[in-house]
Amino acid sequence: MAWDLALWILSFLAVAAALGIIVYQLLCLSDLEFDFINPFDSSSRINRFVLPEFAIQGVLSAIYLIFGYWLMFLLNAPLLYYNIRLYMSKRHLVDVTEIFNQLEPEKKIRFYKLGFYLSLLCIVIYR
Amino acid sequence: MAPPAADFPPPQFFARPPLSNPPLDPTPPPPPPQQLYSRPPSSMLSTPPPPIPSKAPPFASPPPFAAPHQFQGLQGPPPSHPPPPPPQAPYFGGSPAYQQQQQQPLPPPSQGYFAGIAPPLPGVAAPPGHDIADEFESLSISSAPGTAADVKVEALPRPPPDSCDTFAQPAWSNCHPRYFELTTNAIPASHSLAARWHLPLGAVIHPLAEAPPEEQVPVVDFGTSGIVRCRRCRTYINPYDKFTDGGKYFRCAICNLLNDVPMDYVCALDEQGKRRDAMDRPELSQGSVDFVAPMEYMVRPPMPPVYFFLIDVSVAAVRSGILQIAADTIKSCLDKLPGYPRTQIGFLTFDSTLHFYSLKSSLTQPQMVVLAQVDDPFLPMPDDLLVNLSESRLVVEALLDSLPSIFANNENVESALGPALEATTSIMSEIGGKLLIFQSTLPSLGVGRLKLRGQEAHVYQTDREPALRVAEDSFYKQMAAKCSKLQIGVNVYAFSEKYTDVASLGTLAKYTGGQVCYYPGFHAAVDGEKLTYDLSRDLTRETAWEAVMRIRCGKGIKYSVFHGHFMLRSSDLLALPAVDCDKAFSVQFALEDTLLTSQLAYFQVALLYTSSSGERRIRVHTAAVPIVQELSVMYKEANIGAVVGVLSRLAVEKSLNDKLENARQYVHVKMVNALREYKNMYAVKHSLIGRIIFPESLKLLPLYVLALSKSLPLRGGFMDATPDERSAAGYQMMTMSRPSLLKLLYPALIRLDEYLLQGSRGGGVDSPPQLPLTAEVLDPRGAFVTSDGQRFVLWLGNVLQPEFVAAILGPQVAHSSDLRKVPVVEQDNDLSKRFHALLAKLRKQNRWCHQQCVVVRQGESGRELQLVHSNMVEDRGAGFPSYMEWMVQIHRQVQQKI
Repeated sequence: MAWDLALWILSFLAVAAALGIIVYQLLCLSDLEFDFINPFDSSSRINRFVLPEFAIQGVLSAIYLIFGYWLMFLLNAPLLYYNIRLYMSKRHLVDVTEIFNQLEPEKKIRFYKLGFYLSLLCIVIYR
Repeated sequence: MAPPAADFPPPQFFARPPLSNPPLDPTPPPPPPQQLYSRPPSSMLSTPPPPIPSKAPPFASPPPFAAPHQFQGLQGPPPSHPPPPPPQAPYFGGSPAYQQQQQQPLPPPSQGYFAGIAPPLPGVAAPPGHDIADEFESLSISSAPGTAADVKVEALPRPPPDSCDTFAQPAWSNCHPRYFELTTNAIPASHSLAARWHLPLGAVIHPLAEAPPEEQVPVVDFGTSGIVRCRRCRTYINPYDKFTDGGKYFRCAICNLLNDVPMDYVCALDEQGKRRDAMDRPELSQGSVDFVAPMEYMVRPPMPPVYFFLIDVSVAAVRSGILQIAADTIKSCLDKLPGYPRTQIGFLTFDSTLHFYSLKSSLTQPQMVVLAQVDDPFLPMPDDLLVNLSESRLVVEALLDSLPSIFANNENVESALGPALEATTSIMSEIGGKLLIFQSTLPSLGVGRLKLRGQEAHVYQTDREPALRVAEDSFYKQMAAKCSKLQIGVNVYAFSEKYTDVASLGTLAKYTGGQVCYYPGFHAAVDGEKLTYDLSRDLTRETAWEAVMRIRCGKGIKYSVFHGHFMLRSSDLLALPAVDCDKAFSVQFALEDTLLTSQLAYFQVALLYTSSSGERRIRVHTAAVPIVQELSVMYKEANIGAVVGVLSRLAVEKSLNDKLENARQYVHVKMVNALREYKNMYAVKHSLIGRIIFPESLKLLPLYVLALSKSLPLRGGFMDATPDERSAAGYQMMTMSRPSLLKLLYPALIRLDEYLLQGSRGGGVDSPPQLPLTAEVLDPRGAFVTSDGQRFVLWLGNVLQPEFVAAILGPQVAHSSDLRKVPVVEQDNDLSKRFHALLAKLRKQNRWCHQQCVVVRQGESGRELQLVHSNMVEDRGAGFPSYMEWMVQIHRQVQQKI
């Protein structure tokens, strides 16, 4: 029981943190779009949090797997696979030189992630 | 190869219906029955279009390039610049003349002249279904050189000589097209119309293009009162701003906002509402001006010109003589570096170690410090590495004198470029400036080391192929971004015969407004002259420092994509740490509003920069273009030079993330769609099914697209070019101005022996006729020169008289079999003098790079193919058909699926 509670709190915190990161990255991207910050700052801020987000998601998936929360793991698996693939092909960081051309796709993928983490948060809270 | 001057009779093929052409009206020869298809170009040409009966024999006696005026009549309404487009103007409407032209049959084939060459035209006239293919076969150009060659010259529709360099006259108060040239001088009024213009809607921008002395851009100084600009969109005052209310207000042309005129700038208006002083003020009467920028346009005091040299001194650089030539050239340019007495200079050399040079003015000899630990470079004596040239002149000269000897016996094969770059950027971080990298081997040590790639044929045609053309290591992109931030413009000189990964190195230049010069297999005796010229040009040309460029478009229009060497600092601001008169860019536009209601669209290009003299300036180019409702007007006003300029940049960019095949296809599809659209426009009205028709303005489009597909960056596959050549050529193409690009795509081919001999007999020929680019014309008894703006290739026929060769190249060359390393130097005789005068003349037209002359003899298998035949764009090659076949192929595709 204590395990369960600890796990619940952990997942909640992790998902909230990932959510925060994604929102922050989206803010950076839209600031860039409206010319509030320059591409150098924008991309370094975004890139600083790319790996932490991947790590959080990876650890969370691993915990679900280890403790046998199969459904939760399955939910996380597609994103995990996507992140790993991105990382392996070294495309996980935002490219400062081409950031304006990548603005739209980068935003899109982060909106999807936002949606994913939000629904994960709901599940964690209400299950 | 710009808007085709009227040098060739417009083939009906291209029939941009020259309406309103009285000479056309006389009915042409009786149409052969069921002639549905008007000839593909070359062929068509062979039969002079009927309208010119008076000169029916224009080709009979091979006249050197048909005099332009002869056919003027055919051209239809002269290209009206300022395109005055009341949209309703009946450009082509179904005027009778038009119809007639369309139906003109081909006169019976003229036998004789074209026998050798000319594709049998008449045949083509048959219904596309069966005959074309047959005709086609018979078109294949086999060798029948000789007299026929002359005829062919005139017969083919090719860009008229010198057309590359000639621009249309600017309309109204527009800036000269050499600075800003739209792909069509008619902006579509609606989305639906824009969608039917399948070519790019954009422009080629060359903000600092060199102008003849009488057309220099005027400098305007508003003093302390500041430059007059629109307060909302920040557009600079320009000839299209309308003054109202006695001159107290002006309405911004771009955003339509009513602005106050500053008190000291008010001037009374005349009856037409023009300011009385408009003609005295360049900013109100001319499209291009240089404003002197006051303090508020500076974030720091204007920087001095800074030149930093990063030189690879590994064994390859020393042996090939690069170090010697570079040092000599730099030394000879010291007096000509712009910005005296503020100019700063610095050096760093590297192999497996980094060598710093203290150039403090109090020293008599430079002090060299070797840093062996390259993993985490630090700067010894950070203050003396970048010094004021005028103060340390003697030390700098001493260094340049001794550099080659210091490393004369260097056996080091390693190259620590990455660490050297890191050290350099920290030396330059205070000011920025221009960084010239001389790289002779593949970077092999420290960060940014690269590995051999692109050697396997099987990578081509797979998804891994485009990766060969982009930076392998993200280090280079990050370094480029850092340089851009620090205002460092990078120029890369790469020399190795072996793989140097120009794709990765060039990334540095790509994002910093620089350029890539590639000299594969550099050999001092042969290539030295070119390197010397290119380097001195780089060091002495007009350069704009710490520049940014922005484009403002009138209401409803928006820039969409930029192409060229720059980095975007915000969505519409191009950061250009160092930009010079040889860099052009292109931009594409999109319509923001579904419907444009105004009559004119305005564009303003503004380049804010620091001149070498340390003055902050803004170069502003303004242009106005009519907005039209009719597709036909758009096609009529199309500008082939700009279209090709944008298309080629698009294609090169496409090749960076897609297969070459797809990049070529991409351009091809655009062209076919455009031609189909144009055809449909008339096919509906005149039931022209089965004929291909072209707008006159775009008649060279198929030729240029063919040439582009065969050009170095896009040609063939693994076998056709090394990855380095491809990348270097691709980088170059991204920055080329329109004249040099067109010259590169369709080089000039000149028969040398006749020209020289004729001249020596006193029959002074001013400019030798240009021949079509096909191996067909290469007569083994002759000598030919191709000039593509990058180099001259002198081709010597097998049975060319040895005396001739001896005369122009020197006696020892006449019989030598290896012409690879023959320097072309002036001999002491008339022929050779004339030859060099010709080369000098051609070089003068093209000052951005030195055209090295290389010699190749007929039958030298590998080199002949590479140097000569790869330029023969009208022949088959690199998986692409000959010009004739290409036209037939396009014709078929235009017919398909409507």
